[in-house]
Amino acid sequence: MGRLAVNGVSKIYGERDAPDSVVALHDVTFEVPDNHFCSILGHSGCGKTTLLNIAAGFERATTGAVMVDGASIDLPGWRNTMIFQDYALFPWMSVFENIVFGLEMKGVSRQEREDVTRHYVGLVGLEAFEAKFPHQLSGGMRQRVAIARALAVQPHLLLMDEPFAALDAQNRSFMQDELVRIWQREPKTVLLVTHSIDEAIKLSDCIAVMTSRPGRVKEFVTVDLPRPRDEDDASYIELKRRLRDLIRDDFVSR
Amino acid sequence: MNRLETAPVEQTKRRTAPSRGAWFRLRLFRTLGLLPNFVLLIVLLLGWQFASKVWIPSIDPHMAVLMPAPSTIAVTAAGMIVSGELFYHLMASLKREAVAFLFAASAIPLGIAMGWWRPIYNQVNPIMEILRPIPPLAWIPLSILWFGIGDEQNEFIIFLGIFFPILVNTIVGVKNIDPILIRAARSLGAPERKLLVRIVFVGALPQIITGVRIGLGVGWMALVAAELVGASSGLGFIINDARSMLRTDTIIVGMLAIGIVGLLIDTTILMMGRRLLPWSLALRK
Repeated sequence: MGRLAVNGVSKIYGERDAPDSVVALHDVTFEVPDNHFCSILGHSGCGKTTLLNIAAGFERATTGAVMVDGASIDLPGWRNTMIFQDYALFPWMSVFENIVFGLEMKGVSRQEREDVTRHYVGLVGLEAFEAKFPHQLSGGMRQRVAIARALAVQPHLLLMDEPFAALDAQNRSFMQDELVRIWQREPKTVLLVTHSIDEAIKLSDCIAVMTSRPGRVKEFVTVDLPRPRDEDDASYIELKRRLRDLIRDDFVSR
Repeated sequence: MNRLETAPVEQTKRRTAPSRGAWFRLRLFRTLGLLPNFVLLIVLLLGWQFASKVWIPSIDPHMAVLMPAPSTIAVTAAGMIVSGELFYHLMASLKREAVAFLFAASAIPLGIAMGWWRPIYNQVNPIMEILRPIPPLAWIPLSILWFGIGDEQNEFIIFLGIFFPILVNTIVGVKNIDPILIRAARSLGAPERKLLVRIVFVGALPQIITGVRIGLGVGWMALVAAELVGASSGLGFIINDARSMLRTDTIIVGMLAIGIVGLLIDTTILMMGRRLLPWSLALRK
């Protein structure tokens, strides 16, 4: 469950041919096989967040469609749930209540949703913090709760909007390793937006490198390095150089 | 960096002796800081006692009745508490406030609807903006004609005092909810109805409670005014009734009861809010 197809997605803000219209996305097309981890890499303003918002059902594509298992996405819901940069935890709910919320919305029976929630609390290592409120947790812990909350509803497609951007460097690196560990235990189709080349290489099976004005996919790179990925490995460095050149071209041409 | 630059300045400051005035001011503030709380209050009460019992009677014995001494007020208060008179009137007032609050709580669903659906806001807000600046007291003449003199009329005036603060704060509370939380809830599959109850209402609760606090305060003020005009019980009635009998001590007991109970209502709501919403940073300050 969870074959993602982005089919000729364009997004134009404003009237189509009006002089002040902005083309945020132009004919973006790529596919991600089931249970693969795909990153969208690009500078801010290249339309990567717009694409993610369309995949989440928050915005509509002007033309084209984002499809999961052949069905096009046009509303937000648990099938294509999103993890936000600022965690977006409900401050009035405990860790447990935050995670159980999506299951309640989904209509899962009481017994089952408690079991599922316990499972995911354990998976992200927050057993001792079940009853805490978000304001009592550190940034890294909050993002763990957000990850557990999103995984608990068993999405067919998991979307992440720069999930570790608000963390400090040590925490970010640690959380990236954690995400790989969790994802390997429970594989999902993931679409992650990032501007960090290292984050993209560390996490992904495939990387869609985007350029701006109009936002389009410049190159779709497949990563087949063994996990966990070694930053000092020759092929890692080579890939990093290649991605950096792809992105820098875009920067220079601006 | 800053510390390095300022360090020499501090040293020169310490070497020069402070001027006499500065030294005196410093000593004065230190001494004031050492005083136990309520000293000023006690001094004022003693001064009042002296003025009422000795000073004013020495000028004009007839004037003394206008300013009863604290001791007289305390005796009157004790008498009114023991006889149950104070309690009876307090309960009458509280009952009116409570009934009015039950009706005024309708401002919560209305405020949520106005904060959430733009068309409803656009339609209802102009009406509210016209009605809101009219003080509850300005409704007294019309309300007497509508309801006659009695509980309903009083409750209507209090209702007007409570309703608008709750409404305005509920709207603000709904509009101030972080939109990312709405998105997160939708992304977890929340349907519109559950979104309204679990996210919008709960998210706006701290602000709603603030509205209830302000509203009950305004309502309490309106209550006394309403009772002054048209009631045969209640704290407002006590003080107006005592006026006609020149019982200034009873008036002041009534006034103090109004103040203390108003404070207690406010504190109770705040404490309840903190208890029920431990996550709210707004209520903690």
